[in-house]
Amino acid sequence: MLAYIVRRLAQMLPTMLGVVLLLFVLFNWVGGDPAYLLAGKMANAESIANIRRQLGVDQPYWVQLGIFLRQIATLDFGLSWATGEPVGQIIATRLGPSLTVLVPLTLLETALGIALALAIASVRGSLTDRLVMVACTVGMSVSILVYIIVFQYQLAYRFGLFPVQGWGEHLGENLLRYASLPILIGLAVSIAPTLRLYRSFVLDEVGQDYVRTARAKGLGEARVMWLHVLRNAAIPILTHVMASLPSLLIGAFLLERFFGIPGIGREVILAVERSDFPVIKAITVYVALATMLVNLLTDLLYQALDPRVRLS
Amino acid sequence: MLSTRQLVRIVAIALACGWGSSSALDEPVKTLRYILPAAEASLDPVQGRDLYTGHITEAIFETLYTYDYLARPVRLVPQTAAALPQVSADGLSVVIRLKPGIYFTPDPAFGGQRRELTVADYVYSWKRLFDPQLASPNSWLLEGRIAGLDALAAAARQRGRMDYAAPVAGFEQLDRYTLRLHLTRPDPSLGMILAYEPLAALAHEVVQRYGDAQGEVASHPVGTGAYQLGKWVRGSRIVLDANPGYRDERWDFAASADGSPADARIVRQMQGKKIPQIRRIDISVQLEDQSRWLSFTSGAADLFWLDGPLAPRAIRNGQLRPELAAQGIQLQRIVDPVLTYYYWNMQDPVVGGLSKEKIALRRAIAMAHDVDEEIRLLLNGEAERLAMPVPPGVAGHDPAYRSLLQYDPVLANRLLDRYGYRKGVDGWRTLPDGKPLLIRYTSRSEAAGLQMAELWRKTYTRLGIRMESQRMVFSDIQQAEQLCQLQSRTYQWMADYPDGDNFMQLFYGKNIHQNNNGCYQDARYDRWFEASRALPPGPQRDALYRQMARLLEVQAVAMPAYTRYRSMLAQPAVLGYKRHPILHQEWKYLDIERKDKQ
Amino acid sequence: MTAQHSAGLWQLAWRRLRADRWAMAALAVVLAFLLTLLLSASGLIVADWEQEVAVSFAPPGWAAAAAGSGAGAPLNDTDALLRDNPFDPLADDLRALRSELGRPDGKASLPMYGVTDPLADDLAQLRAAHGAGGTTGATGARLATLPFGADKWGHDVLKKTVKGGETSVVVGLVAALLAVALGTLLGALAGYWGGVVDALLNGLYNIFTAIPSVLMILAVAAVLQQKGVLTIVLILGLTGWTGPYRLIRAEYLKHKGREYVLAADAIGASHWRKMFVHIFPNVSHVALVQLSILVVGFIKAEVVLSFLGFGVPVGVVSWGSMLNEAQNELILGRWWQLTAAALAMAVLVTAFSLLTDALRDALDPKVKF
Repeated sequence: MLAYIVRRLAQMLPTMLGVVLLLFVLFNWVGGDPAYLLAGKMANAESIANIRRQLGVDQPYWVQLGIFLRQIATLDFGLSWATGEPVGQIIATRLGPSLTVLVPLTLLETALGIALALAIASVRGSLTDRLVMVACTVGMSVSILVYIIVFQYQLAYRFGLFPVQGWGEHLGENLLRYASLPILIGLAVSIAPTLRLYRSFVLDEVGQDYVRTARAKGLGEARVMWLHVLRNAAIPILTHVMASLPSLLIGAFLLERFFGIPGIGREVILAVERSDFPVIKAITVYVALATMLVNLLTDLLYQALDPRVRLS
Repeated sequence: MLSTRQLVRIVAIALACGWGSSSALDEPVKTLRYILPAAEASLDPVQGRDLYTGHITEAIFETLYTYDYLARPVRLVPQTAAALPQVSADGLSVVIRLKPGIYFTPDPAFGGQRRELTVADYVYSWKRLFDPQLASPNSWLLEGRIAGLDALAAAARQRGRMDYAAPVAGFEQLDRYTLRLHLTRPDPSLGMILAYEPLAALAHEVVQRYGDAQGEVASHPVGTGAYQLGKWVRGSRIVLDANPGYRDERWDFAASADGSPADARIVRQMQGKKIPQIRRIDISVQLEDQSRWLSFTSGAADLFWLDGPLAPRAIRNGQLRPELAAQGIQLQRIVDPVLTYYYWNMQDPVVGGLSKEKIALRRAIAMAHDVDEEIRLLLNGEAERLAMPVPPGVAGHDPAYRSLLQYDPVLANRLLDRYGYRKGVDGWRTLPDGKPLLIRYTSRSEAAGLQMAELWRKTYTRLGIRMESQRMVFSDIQQAEQLCQLQSRTYQWMADYPDGDNFMQLFYGKNIHQNNNGCYQDARYDRWFEASRALPPGPQRDALYRQMARLLEVQAVAMPAYTRYRSMLAQPAVLGYKRHPILHQEWKYLDIERKDKQ
Repeated sequence: MTAQHSAGLWQLAWRRLRADRWAMAALAVVLAFLLTLLLSASGLIVADWEQEVAVSFAPPGWAAAAAGSGAGAPLNDTDALLRDNPFDPLADDLRALRSELGRPDGKASLPMYGVTDPLADDLAQLRAAHGAGGTTGATGARLATLPFGADKWGHDVLKKTVKGGETSVVVGLVAALLAVALGTLLGALAGYWGGVVDALLNGLYNIFTAIPSVLMILAVAAVLQQKGVLTIVLILGLTGWTGPYRLIRAEYLKHKGREYVLAADAIGASHWRKMFVHIFPNVSHVALVQLSILVVGFIKAEVVLSFLGFGVPVGVVSWGSMLNEAQNELILGRWWQLTAAALAMAVLVTAFSLLTDALRDALDPKVKF
């Protein structure tokens, strides 16, 4: 087991280097000269040259790559070009609000998805099944923008059920008051694809022999579903949840933007609009790292859940 | 082991405590809630170049002078100075006296001592404008005005860093509270320049302790103002708390000369009250229009900047909509001292130059653009046409001035035909020498920039000229502009101080690569501009301005378009509110009286 | 003994598809959209979508009657008519008169303050020769209502929706084709050759999948800063190849050792022939399903990209740009552009998704019905 982990970690290294190289090419080569972004309204040639020198942009590419690698190794990406705030601090402070929305959202979405998938699977092939699937498809085809705009207008403003936007001090307040509507919208948007996917996982299991055996033994349908089928379907479900975690962090950027939640997604969009390269680079590197670690974790969990799987 | 039910109960109680505690601990502090439509940037005043951040720095830092809250037209009054500047007979030396007993807010940088404000702090802060490492965009404010300062700046540029200890002949510190400035030429607008935010006072201890490698203090503002920085979630929420050590100042303004009854009411509400009445300003940054508007109308904001896209929601025919007025919401609508104009890059090979052909091209484009449509559709009618570069309310504006450039697309087309811009087989015009004609219009990447590009596309299509739209992030646009790389753009210049000089300098030859975005240089214009600088505001200077404006028109260098209305909405609980054209915000002059505890 | 001709994969799939009524309905809808797209692209319909035929924000005909009675909510639409006075038949004449008053003949009335106008003579001659200028010939009175309303400029929303659909679907299709082509090519190479090539391409795959696609798209958009349909297509295509790659590679690995490939080897087929003439037709159904999935995903991605400002350039309309405009219009009570774009997109994406599901089921011989 330990040997497997070490080997996997060692395999991550070339991938990480590849990611670094890709980002370097993207930002330092394709992105062009960043010094002007900092020089301000009245930049004259001398102050621009000054800043370029400080950033090392006038150095050969391999020196710049070295600087980038050092930044990653020391986890110090310097200061944001737009606000001067240390990038590490930006990420550390924005992570909390993002997770306050995403953790409950993921939990609720998975729980609801499983429950509904099992329910639907028990009536598979019927008209209900077909109608629900079509409803899911229709739900998925409406853009998330429409959901956000309409929900915010109707539920928060017209009916006054939720605050229009904002973020508070305390976890409880944030969770129950400010995060409610974003979580609700997130659920509405994600329930359709989740349901479709989980339904297919469950249906894959339902066709198996052991289910027929369990039924033949006389077990009730509910027990068959929740006890036997779910345990086996849990593996692909878990894989799916884990795999979607890293992208969830960034994916909520629209929710964060509309509801004024100071999270990572909103920060990324701001950085992209302001060409704040250090922030974008740092977040991309960290998310890539997180993705690889989560994949490793998923594989380990896979082995723990399914004794048939032997990690090679 | 706890059962599930017990566990759930415990968690619920814990959360409720978390929720409850926030409201229980809130003392009834008088709070004003405000919304900024864009994220704030560096809180170092010397770097200040956008008015969103200006809201905050203006509350924390103090300049020598400020403007009378109620007086219109605006009138300079002392802030940290004891009185208006004392100008000598020849106009070349100015004595400034500081009020004693003004202290910076306490900070560890001061080593536990109370730190008093002295004129040395102002001299230090003004030198920072020329620090090459800071590369302040505001150095032009003091360029060419103070004896010896330009030499210091040049030496600093050479060395790559500023020597703050070096003496400057123009800054003569007579004692802790008295400063005599020696000017290079008589400067009637000096007082107004000293009232502009980048010239506020910072303490060198704070810069030394909290400044970054360039010496910029972006995140730790320590000033002498009525407010200090409290909680700060960058790009999201800024809380300003009243400065407990603020000097004893009382609200004492007279109703303005135009005698509006609103002023009288304000005086009644606020006279004699201690400044600031509002103890906390809670600012949230909301980028989306819908979120902003819904926040205000649901009562989550007290003061609201009603910008263009949202204007029809609240305003009809220049008046507040009856349903909002019925709720007691107050509207303040003034003409902002801002100039929006279109420029063409005079150094560009396609659109620039002073040959008759090029002038004809630019004149035709100017004549084909429907400014009224732009005001109607893009600004929802919230702007006024401008004929000359100086907007109303600013010294040097002439309401009787009429512009040469009128909307006349038929004539414009004929003019182009006459000068050889023939239409090719594809229907698009070419240059007189037969080469293809393509004009690039640059705008910001936000929604407003997209709409402007669409509008200009209509204009160029009206003339049969192919247009290419280039949309960039604002800072990229600034860079390209300084290097004279753009071809055409719509530019908005907000008055730094209420004088026509601040607008006419946009076309001064020496300001190319700084404020002169059109990269325009003309010996006649420069001569007139330099002459106007020596004159105080008055009929002689106005005559020069008219000549300069006419010259810009006949050469079709730039076309002044409009000045926008600034509409601010206030909840009925806000007392004493009158929008000031120059000040970014008026928070310390306001009061709040909530009828129902919100 | 008569030889029984057994149906191939595609014929079987078509038969199964035909039996599914929902799938046929979805197919009909998709084909209708594609037909509209072709007509629009060739200019046979909605070529004049850019004409400003209505007043600004003209409401839909069927809603205008119902509106106006809403208690306090959206704007009273007669406002818009009053403020936008192009509806005034005298507008053009008034404008001409006004301009004439301002300049009776040449600039005699305007003081020049000592500045000479180099074009004064030319302009005077032009005016004298052709009479007072004025605006372009009256474009006719503008409409007060349209079937689905008008946008800020007075464009017909229905026509915009059709034209926007053309752009969005083309972006989605071309980007998806690019992604699938790239993914298929790389997957084929990796699956077929194995060894070093496989290792290298897997490394590339790992790198691209380590970064969430959203982040990848934003980072590329931030760096490129260039707008344009081509840019979006490139961004989406170059970041979306990983899905097809993985599946096609698995397929090639499966098929590499099959008998028909060995047979092809025996007759001396080159590697390229084996990969694309022999194996590919047997895995093409996987590619087709992937294409379908990606088209849907990319249409939705284009909408979000346009909203963020990295979308289509000025003068090009897409559903994304319509939603972007519509967002601000909704607060002002103008809901028709939002509805039109959202509805059109919903119908197409639903139909496409249903079709994809049915296609996948029809092409997969193992799925039981």
